[in-house]
Amino acid sequence: MLSDITIGQYYKADSFVHRLDARTKIILTALFLVIIFMCKNFLSLALMFVLLVTSVLACKVPMKMFLKSVKPIIPIVIFTAVINVIYATGGTELVSFWKISITTKGLATAFFMAIRIICLIISSSILTYTTVPTALTDGIEKLFSPLKVLHVDVHTLAMMMTLALRFIPTLIEEINRITNAQKARGADFESGKLFERVKAMIPILIPLFVSAFNRAYELAFAMSCRCYRGGEGRTRMKQPKMKAADYLILLFFVLIIVGVILLNHFFGKIV
Amino acid sequence: MDNYIELKDVSFAYDSPENGEPSAVIKRLNLTIKKGDFVAVLGHNGCGKSTLAKLCNAIEVPQSGKVYVDGIDTSDEDRLFDIRQKVGMVFQNPDNQIVATIVEDDVAFGPENLGVEPAEIRKRVDEALKRVSMYDFRFSEPHKLSGGQKQRVAIAGIIAMQPECIILDEPTAMLDPKGRQEVMDTVKMLNRDYGITVVFITHYMDEAVKANRVIVMDDGNIILDGTPKQVFGHHDILKRVGLDIPEASQLASLLRKDGLKIKKDILDVDELYEEIVGILEDKS
Repeated sequence: MLSDITIGQYYKADSFVHRLDARTKIILTALFLVIIFMCKNFLSLALMFVLLVTSVLACKVPMKMFLKSVKPIIPIVIFTAVINVIYATGGTELVSFWKISITTKGLATAFFMAIRIICLIISSSILTYTTVPTALTDGIEKLFSPLKVLHVDVHTLAMMMTLALRFIPTLIEEINRITNAQKARGADFESGKLFERVKAMIPILIPLFVSAFNRAYELAFAMSCRCYRGGEGRTRMKQPKMKAADYLILLFFVLIIVGVILLNHFFGKIV
Repeated sequence: MDNYIELKDVSFAYDSPENGEPSAVIKRLNLTIKKGDFVAVLGHNGCGKSTLAKLCNAIEVPQSGKVYVDGIDTSDEDRLFDIRQKVGMVFQNPDNQIVATIVEDDVAFGPENLGVEPAEIRKRVDEALKRVSMYDFRFSEPHKLSGGQKQRVAIAGIIAMQPECIILDEPTAMLDPKGRQEVMDTVKMLNRDYGITVVFITHYMDEAVKANRVIVMDDGNIILDGTPKQVFGHHDILKRVGLDIPEASQLASLLRKDGLKIKKDILDVDELYEEIVGILEDKS
């Protein structure tokens, strides 16, 4: 069962979105997040929502995967919506009791926030479902490489992300092994109050940390044996290439931004 | 054959801040390893065999004495990466030496560090994976492979750097018998077909038997050095330093004690079988 764990959230499929360059997808996701907060009326929001649904359909990842990623944030969505309804002022008053008054403006803001948060989660899910983790870290490294001018060590950050991804399954396996070993020695993880249960985790966490540090030490040895010396002078076997499709879709997103600005301008601002 | 690795009067100690006094791990050791040789290094835990490996590819530099790899002094920091490219190293735990989430990306790691051209890396990676018979697994995730397969990926990662020598530090210690066999066959093949010098550190006698030369270490120095037949003849010394004797060899010596005329330098089961059959035929 353990060996079934996939690294990251990648969902294997052959689609237009999967074939896009990781850099394109990172930029698109970032752009999408910015545009969704630029929307000021229902028309522009609807435009973004249509765009999102089209992207979800295009990436050939089953709907239930997206529902799964949205599910854990539903309480946050509801909470934000309620807060917005209660605190927003202006617009026509609909109901009023005690100190709270519900207005049209409040309802609109709440609705906008809820849609925005859901779009946010779904759009970043599209990125992680359709991009292999290594391509993602490589993409981040390439995109942020101009930051070298500011002495940000982008390569090292990307390498750390790659290694973290690589060791997730190894450490999960390790946790299971330690848990079983402690159970065999009579450790009890299932009963007791919350505090006792948290305390019972200590005999798992300490060996896990010790072993993780040992692994890191050995890994560092192995990496220097393979001539690793940071990003300087390093080449890559896989050279990601921006294709015509990548440029076209980027252009398309720029047009969407223009569309949103125009819609905001001509159809008034609700939020 | 030329000398490939040369250790001259080497002493080495780790810093030990707790005890204050650093204790020597390697003590005035002299050793030469010839190009294309297959050398097994034996010894119980703490005898300095892993340190010996680290001295050979400039991970550690001796406090006194010199180590030369293909004529390059390992204390020459400008040539550090030349040495590490020439002498590849495979460690005990395959999990802790695989850096990428996909097999072929991991094999590419070494050549990428060396700054090899992308097209050339592709070629080397495919070739290295084919040599260790892991080409079909090139898109796999390392954690889904068996121990023996992971270790072969680690070996492929070293071969892709095109080294002249590979040092394996107990590569089979964490593997099951099948995995051990896979790794041993791979290493033997690399030595035989590609002329790569192999230094194989192990505590399995049956693996050491397959080498051309066996070195036994104890307390930071070499106490036995020779062909497997010569070394495994010294039952008393091997026992004294806490090493096993190959099973066939042990049985042969017991039979000899009982008065059977069996050769002294028997190492493996097949040889022993021939010998016993020979004796039985003589009797009948």
